[in-house]
Amino acid sequence: MIGRVPLARRALFQDRRRAALAAGGVAAALLLVLMLQGVFDGAMHQVTAYLRANPADVIVSQRDVRTMHMSASALDPATVKNVAAVDGVAWAEGIRYTTTFLVGADGNQQLSYVIGYDTTTGRGGPQHLTAGRAPRGDEIDIEQVAADRLGLHVGDTVSVFGDRFRVSGLFRGGTSVVNSIAFITTDDFAARRGPAIAYILVGAKPGVSAGELQHRLAGALPDLTVQTRSQFTSEEATLVRDMSADLMRIMSIVGLLIALAVIGLTLFTLTLSKLREHAIVKALGGRTRRLAAVVLAQAAWSVGVAVVTATVLAVALGAIVERVNPAITIVIEPGSVERIALAALVIGAIGAVIPLRRVVAVDPASAFRRAS
Amino acid sequence: MTNLSVHDLTKTYGEGNLAVAAVRHVDLDIDPGEVVLIMGPSGSGKTTLLLMLGAMLRPTSGTINVDGVELATAAERSLPPLRAEHFGFVFQDFNLLSALSALENVELACNLAGIHGHAARQRATELLTRLGLGERLRFRPDQLSGGEKQRVAVARALANNATIILADEPTANLDSAHGRDIARLLRQLATDDGRSVIIVSHDDRLREIADRILWLEDGTFRELAAMVTDPVCGMSVETTSTYRHDIDERSWWFCSPHCRDEFIANTAAFVPTRIAPIVSTKEDAHGEDPVRRHTRH
Repeated sequence: MIGRVPLARRALFQDRRRAALAAGGVAAALLLVLMLQGVFDGAMHQVTAYLRANPADVIVSQRDVRTMHMSASALDPATVKNVAAVDGVAWAEGIRYTTTFLVGADGNQQLSYVIGYDTTTGRGGPQHLTAGRAPRGDEIDIEQVAADRLGLHVGDTVSVFGDRFRVSGLFRGGTSVVNSIAFITTDDFAARRGPAIAYILVGAKPGVSAGELQHRLAGALPDLTVQTRSQFTSEEATLVRDMSADLMRIMSIVGLLIALAVIGLTLFTLTLSKLREHAIVKALGGRTRRLAAVVLAQAAWSVGVAVVTATVLAVALGAIVERVNPAITIVIEPGSVERIALAALVIGAIGAVIPLRRVVAVDPASAFRRAS
Repeated sequence: MTNLSVHDLTKTYGEGNLAVAAVRHVDLDIDPGEVVLIMGPSGSGKTTLLLMLGAMLRPTSGTINVDGVELATAAERSLPPLRAEHFGFVFQDFNLLSALSALENVELACNLAGIHGHAARQRATELLTRLGLGERLRFRPDQLSGGEKQRVAVARALANNATIILADEPTANLDSAHGRDIARLLRQLATDDGRSVIIVSHDDRLREIADRILWLEDGTFRELAAMVTDPVCGMSVETTSTYRHDIDERSWWFCSPHCRDEFIANTAAFVPTRIAPIVSTKEDAHGEDPVRRHTRH
């Protein structure tokens, strides 16, 4: 439409209040969907924080166990040596793992993954320490947000497995609304939960890709589940996503239906109010397809403005919410924005159907009737 | 060579016993540079005729030839480009697009005629400047006076360099000064540019600029020899009208008993200022008997 009078835009924004209400209404509906998606993406971000920061290229677990969340994996400690012996393995590190409650001095509880790791290598331990140091005997490192929630600081004590642990360090990343993560030494873990290890973190030698290493390990150890770290992370995210998929779907449908109603109503009222002008354009020689393009362009403009507005608001709101409640992480992924924009374009097109039918049916001769 | 030639044009709405003939067997040839004024009472078929001439309504029978193109049988999809290329429209209500500036309204018509970008903007600017609106290019319709709006509408009608201008009551919503202004403008478009101008109107002021006046009634053109003006409402009426009043051997005809009664009750208010000219006894400004001119179709 280069070099043409921007009829669609001019007509849409002629009444700025109506345009603002329309874009605002659609933006509010999209914001609802985007924020909901952002909350879940944020939760996902925290759930997978440990895995994403992990140095392993490949993770080995008990047969058919593919996640940490809602799973229990138990391996013989000797398996670590078997893994380390496979060609292409630079290092292999067993970690111990369970889910339990951290109990603060005042009785407050925080559900948490507790991981026992070898503090001498540091592999599988906490990243991004914000205070203190790695744990030693009867010590624990806990996540900053969880510590704040439990009112704990470095030097305080917290009850885990029914025993008292001194808080030796704090780190950031891994606490969601419902869950957190904490680290103790692998010996402390074994002393309280037995010698079995849960997962084996594996590093590849230089020149060996994660996929190649996975292939070699799976061939050498057929009774175990071998996944690259990205596969493991993806499985973890999928499990959490599946648990909330129905709620997400319902809320998204509700939000998009509201957006559809607003777009449809806006375009319909706009088209009705401009029917005479559409007739004039037809009388002057405008083809129906040009007028159809006007309506579709108005739908696209409404959606475009709404998507941009909703995205900006979502990012701003996310920052505010995180500041008010650090346990809630809202992540607005570009992919989410793309999906919402695509869905909004589809509903914009659907919302334009009835106005399009009206425009197609406009009789150019009606331009000669007296305006009422 | 004619710009527009109509032969045996008929439009019938409905079928069977419900059929109503809005236009019946009309013949009309219009030359370049000619201004034709079509008058007639409401419901006489003026608008139907105008819509058919403007390629917006299919005739039931007959032919309409515009610049060598036959409209009556043209494919439906070819009608919009025909309108965009051959006709300029001027409406009673101006019909400018309210969201667009004066410049954009004219530019849009250029776009529809296939002129885009800088060329369209330049042409629109030139036309508006020619019509005295060079200082109003960025004004929206609600910021213009009635006369200015109609000038923009005329500029828009010229955007595609049309050979035929169809004007529907172009002065109806204008005061007398602006009405005369637009009338002169339409005359000028015919005289200077050689365009054919067809005006449908009730406005007697437009008689002054017309080369031909046609009276349409009951869907057919009638003789204008015996047309006079109702001194009360200004409508043209026939001397066969039953609503008549005589004063001192002079006769007055009216469109309705209401006008006649009002005239009788307050004759002094109408006689000195609004003497109804009996057409058949008056020579027009061209020195030609209007009766002969009006029936030259």
